[in-house]
Amino acid sequence: MALITENTRKEVTEIVYNFFADECEVELKDIHGDTNIINDIDGDSLMFLELIEIFKKKYNLDIELKTIGKYSVKHPVQTIGQLIDMQLLIIEHENKLLELDN
Amino acid sequence: MSQKKLAFVFPPFASDYPDEPFTNLSGFEDCFRKFLSRAAEFADPDLNQFSIPSRTFLDDELKTQYISYIQACALVSWFRQKGVIPAYSSGYSMGIYAALFQSEVISFLDGLVLIRQAYKEIKKITGKQEYGMCSIIGLNQDDIDHLILKQKTTLKLAIQNSVCSFSFSGIAREIQKLAESAQEEGALSTRVLNVSVPYHSFYLKDISEGFSEFVNQMSFRSPKMPIVSLIDQEILLEEHALKNEVVRNLFTSLNWYGTQLYLQELGVNRFVECGSGKGIVKNARFIEGDAVFYTANSFMASFELK
Repeated sequence: MALITENTRKEVTEIVYNFFADECEVELKDIHGDTNIINDIDGDSLMFLELIEIFKKKYNLDIELKTIGKYSVKHPVQTIGQLIDMQLLIIEHENKLLELDN
Repeated sequence: MSQKKLAFVFPPFASDYPDEPFTNLSGFEDCFRKFLSRAAEFADPDLNQFSIPSRTFLDDELKTQYISYIQACALVSWFRQKGVIPAYSSGYSMGIYAALFQSEVISFLDGLVLIRQAYKEIKKITGKQEYGMCSIIGLNQDDIDHLILKQKTTLKLAIQNSVCSFSFSGIAREIQKLAESAQEEGALSTRVLNVSVPYHSFYLKDISEGFSEFVNQMSFRSPKMPIVSLIDQEILLEEHALKNEVVRNLFTSLNWYGTQLYLQELGVNRFVECGSGKGIVKNARFIEGDAVFYTANSFMASFELK
């Protein structure tokens, strides 16, 4: 179980913002915590999947995609801010993510 | 510009039209309108009413197929005028007809004839039962096999797009159930597609004989550029193989994942999605290798050949 520091949050936020600016071909300044990923910047679930892979490699995470999928059903992500929060939870809890709901 | 390692990929028919998909393609609109006008005169006068902003024909599978084909052929023609010729081409699902046009196997009008005939044959099946398709993203092959077993369904894999992206075809209620089960199993995304035909599944095998007879009466020329099969990743060079591919394309599972990898083995390092969408480009994020995938628009922007 990783410790989430202010630096981790900053790093994750930066990666997520840059990722969506690049993938969705939008200006970095147009991305905010409350930006709706699908409606505002034409994002999609494949992008979410790619981000997960980026963080899996970066933080050497032990987590199955379907664990994230099951968690997402109860905690759907719509905005960039929600996505960052979920990525931090994934980094912190890895395959124990679902235990948060117990 | 070296084009030795360039492949054109022709997408299936669109489920939506993005706004202004060809802004970097100077003069493309005129080129498209010429093709559209010929198609309207030959196949269906309604086609002249097409406009992207009003999302015309999205509820009509045949007309949507025509439009996707017309856009693809217009792109081929526009690229030819710019001297952009691919080393290989491949047709994803109903994109096969545009791949045949690109390789000069068939004429533009013959492609319309094939689309119309295939659709006519398909309708013989779809009137008897409600069919559909769904996409599942975020589960791997083992998870999918487990789901199929658990559901005791007759559904079969229609298309594999990557190690974690699949499409299924079959009876509509089973498709709906599979999508729901996949969500419960942990799929990151499931979507029931806006189609009424179980493309690339054995449900269409019964109509293959009639379609085959029709295709065999048509004249196919030798391809000017090789076409790579999405079914078995063979390079299609002979008339018989090309005709066989067109027929099997209706009822056989496609492996887009394997086809992309094979094209990379052949040395392809740039792919251009020749349509108005970017579904193939998006999916490419999960394909191994260093190849770069472009939309027609981003390809032209990259190489500044406006």
